[in-house]
Amino acid sequence: MNFPEHLNYTSDHEWLDAGADAVTVGVTDYAQDALGDVVYVGLPQIGKEVAAGDSIAEIESTKSVSDVYAPLTGTITEINDALNERPELINEDPYGEGWICKIAGTVDLSTVLDQQGYRALIQQR
Amino acid sequence: MAVVDKRTALYGTHLDLGAKMTKFSGFSMPLSYDKGTIEEHLAVRRASGVFDVSHLGTVEISGDDAFDRLQAQLTNDLRKIGPGRTQYTHLLDETGSVVDDIIVWWLEEQLFHVMPNAANTDNVTGAIGGQDITGSRVVIAIQGPAARAALAAVAGTSGPLHNHVAAFDFAGAAGYVAGTGYTGGDGIEVEIGVEAGIELFRALIKHGVAPCGLGARDTLRLEAGLPLHGHELGGGITPLNANLGWVVAFGKEGFPGKEALLRQKEHGVDPILAGFATGSRQPLRDGDRLFGEDGTEAGWISSGGFSPMRREGIGLGFVHPDSRGRQDLTVVRGDRKVPVQPVPYPFVDLKSR
Repeated sequence: MNFPEHLNYTSDHEWLDAGADAVTVGVTDYAQDALGDVVYVGLPQIGKEVAAGDSIAEIESTKSVSDVYAPLTGTITEINDALNERPELINEDPYGEGWICKIAGTVDLSTVLDQQGYRALIQQR
Repeated sequence: MAVVDKRTALYGTHLDLGAKMTKFSGFSMPLSYDKGTIEEHLAVRRASGVFDVSHLGTVEISGDDAFDRLQAQLTNDLRKIGPGRTQYTHLLDETGSVVDDIIVWWLEEQLFHVMPNAANTDNVTGAIGGQDITGSRVVIAIQGPAARAALAAVAGTSGPLHNHVAAFDFAGAAGYVAGTGYTGGDGIEVEIGVEAGIELFRALIKHGVAPCGLGARDTLRLEAGLPLHGHELGGGITPLNANLGWVVAFGKEGFPGKEALLRQKEHGVDPILAGFATGSRQPLRDGDRLFGEDGTEAGWISSGGFSPMRREGIGLGFVHPDSRGRQDLTVVRGDRKVPVQPVPYPFVDLKSR
């Protein structure tokens, strides 16, 4: 499984990529594999204020419904509209075209894992 | 000692094929293989797929009283068929609740193989007797418009007509092949000894038949509007609630549940099974509650999912008869209401056979 080195991760199997203006959020390769075929993504509203831990999106696969949690407090600035028509992008390219949304805010680094930390978490399971 | 997952004889084959495994009725079974549930589903609708369904039970009932024992317990009328035919039927309790739904393979005048759901085999042997031969055979379902051609190429027979069953030989083993399945389309199922069954499963895949897991088995049966025990059938649900009155032969002598069904017919069948769709990619989910515009609860979704052929959320659900056809129903998703339209089922046109 692929866990890019430049990203941060959460124990909820999400990834974060801190950019200049906002933090891009998605789910990991491990998460998409565990979900199975994704058939629907419920995206948040742009402009919505979220607190870390809030449910911001829902991912439905052929077998389950899963919540995506805000990994930081902030404001939703962008959503990946492409997922409305092609939810399978989460399976095909979880770190690229399958990104979910961008949140303007500051990441509390004590709450996230680096690549090595996330890999260790996966291996415990 | 803890209870370990039960495994079918094809367990090692599933692992070799890289299957994602899941637990189902105590068995460790393939959920999907490398291409995933949707590709597997589409392979069955457009070409062919093969499923290990050895977790279903097989109970052998034989002897000069075999016919009478089955006829006395099961809802359908075996007099409608004969040796060489199969029949879908129900076993009820005295309240009319469906204890199990079953396929009967009538193999010879005095020889029947009865196939209950995995978890219900003991209920069936308890009611009818017979010998549980589940462990001595595998059952493989080959389904889809190209399924018969694939079996012909690999095993030299395309199998009998729909709802027929015949003797079948492969790799030196004797078994049976039936024109049955759980996908709504054309297909066959093979029951054969363990070694030959493993060889047949592998040969079919080598021939290009897509290995399919329980994920696709469920999306296919839902799209075809076929009931699943524990969802559309079970405690508190009679065949009449599930729109399966055709499975019940009211004209034959008493069988468990007959009186209860006659009373239900008299008083009105409520709730009743109906089909629903979201009109969007959003799936319906098992247990979703259906609400009317006025906030009153109208029923529930018994099986929900995503239809790969319609590319929309679909579901079967139970509603009060007056609520069938209502246009104002919704299910709740977080803080949103998702509109749900009534649609007829089967959810896809499967006239291919």
